[in-house]
Amino acid sequence: MSLVNFTAREITCKIVYYGPGRSGKTTNLQYVYGRVPEARRGRMVSLATQTDRTLFFDFLPLELGTISGFTTKFQLYTVPGQSYYNATRKLVLQGADGVVFVADSQARRFDDNLESLQNLQDNLLAQAVDVRQLPVVFQYNKQDLPRDLILNREEMDDALNFRDVPSFSADALHGSGVFETLKGVSELVLKRLAAGTAVA
Amino acid sequence: MRALEPWVAAPLQTFINESAARLILLMTTSGQVVAQHGFSRSVEVMTAAALGAAIVASTEELSRTMAAPRFGAVVHNGSRQSCMLSAFATPRGRWIGLVVFGSETSVGLVQLFFDQMVEELVMVAPKEQAPAPMLAENFEDELNTSLKELFGR
Amino acid sequence: MAGTAPMIAADELLERVTQVPGVRGSLLISAIDGLVVAERLMDGIDGRAVAALVASLMQRLGRATTAAGLEPPNFVHLKGGSGSVLAAPGRDDVVLVAVVTPDANLGRARLDMLDVVGRLT
Repeated sequence: MSLVNFTAREITCKIVYYGPGRSGKTTNLQYVYGRVPEARRGRMVSLATQTDRTLFFDFLPLELGTISGFTTKFQLYTVPGQSYYNATRKLVLQGADGVVFVADSQARRFDDNLESLQNLQDNLLAQAVDVRQLPVVFQYNKQDLPRDLILNREEMDDALNFRDVPSFSADALHGSGVFETLKGVSELVLKRLAAGTAVA
Repeated sequence: MRALEPWVAAPLQTFINESAARLILLMTTSGQVVAQHGFSRSVEVMTAAALGAAIVASTEELSRTMAAPRFGAVVHNGSRQSCMLSAFATPRGRWIGLVVFGSETSVGLVQLFFDQMVEELVMVAPKEQAPAPMLAENFEDELNTSLKELFGR
Repeated sequence: MAGTAPMIAADELLERVTQVPGVRGSLLISAIDGLVVAERLMDGIDGRAVAALVASLMQRLGRATTAAGLEPPNFVHLKGGSGSVLAAPGRDDVVLVAVVTPDANLGRARLDMLDVVGRLT
């Protein structure tokens, strides 16, 4: 749930990058971390296994700037994508103000995307969060791969984006689409906050 | 010391004075900072809050797995400084306290004054929820400008 | 269970102290952590608070006596308006504490407490 400090005029929101294993969630945060001036971000914390797979979460605190007179801070989290880490995903998802679903555009990962999206919905329902009310955007990552290996944005939308929420093509490794995705989810989260109907 | 809402400040200040704790952070269970004392950079506070909330969430999950009652507090005993994490209910939802303390005090004193602070917080907490901020109609333009500046575009 | 025997022993030793006329309760506390190790207390005594505050007091008194060029105290009598707190430091940073009424047999309480801390291993 977003927190607002009226005395210090600060807004803090929690954004969770969700999606199947190896879809590029951590890569998104690493790119953001690399591009943002040090004064505007904290240390990126990665609780990972020895093989650099996310074990608990990655975390990156960001100061977005001043919006309507409020210093706006975002906390970016990723969840571990592998299916057996569901208990951890639930914990990280708790209190999220917005979700970026990072899907792997490779055709062979089609089922993994669907399974992860279903898992997101299940976990939100278990936390009594109305999926339709939560700001969600899709990012179709790895769109830089050869065309015969991937589904394009329209095909990905058809497969995953039933609610017609904002979606973005991306190549997170090289940064394409990362900024647009963050902007997309930020807009939705702040609109929701301004409407005064917190999610959780 | 910084607190999200003014009513948190007095109980927190009393705790700081009595317990001789070096750092304290109050946060929600989802890792959002409610109040802090002793941290220098706000982004470091957010990192500490994220990690603290994760530890509490993990131990609560662990206790559920063992069909045991929730752990009252988690204490990490260090050679130079120690740290205590404890979750508690408030009218504003469940919060977590993270306290870092040194040899000038003890875990017993920290726990004692922490519990007193919790009682006081529960007593003085307003029943109504905090209002949502009024964002200007053109906040999306401001967001765009801020993000462009952030990414150097 | 490996830890059971010493706890029973501690309990028995505390029982001996609480049998002294006027003793309302006794505790073994850790001087470093300020936590209760074992306790036998009457209702109305907050053992946790006593442990935390007496441990803090003993540390400060230790520092004060050291600064004055003296040995740390081996017995402390803190006299209050409606009774006293007695404390006897033992080995391994354990302190035996007793809460007593104004008419308690302080001499016997002191002797028993010093004997008990000497027996603690």
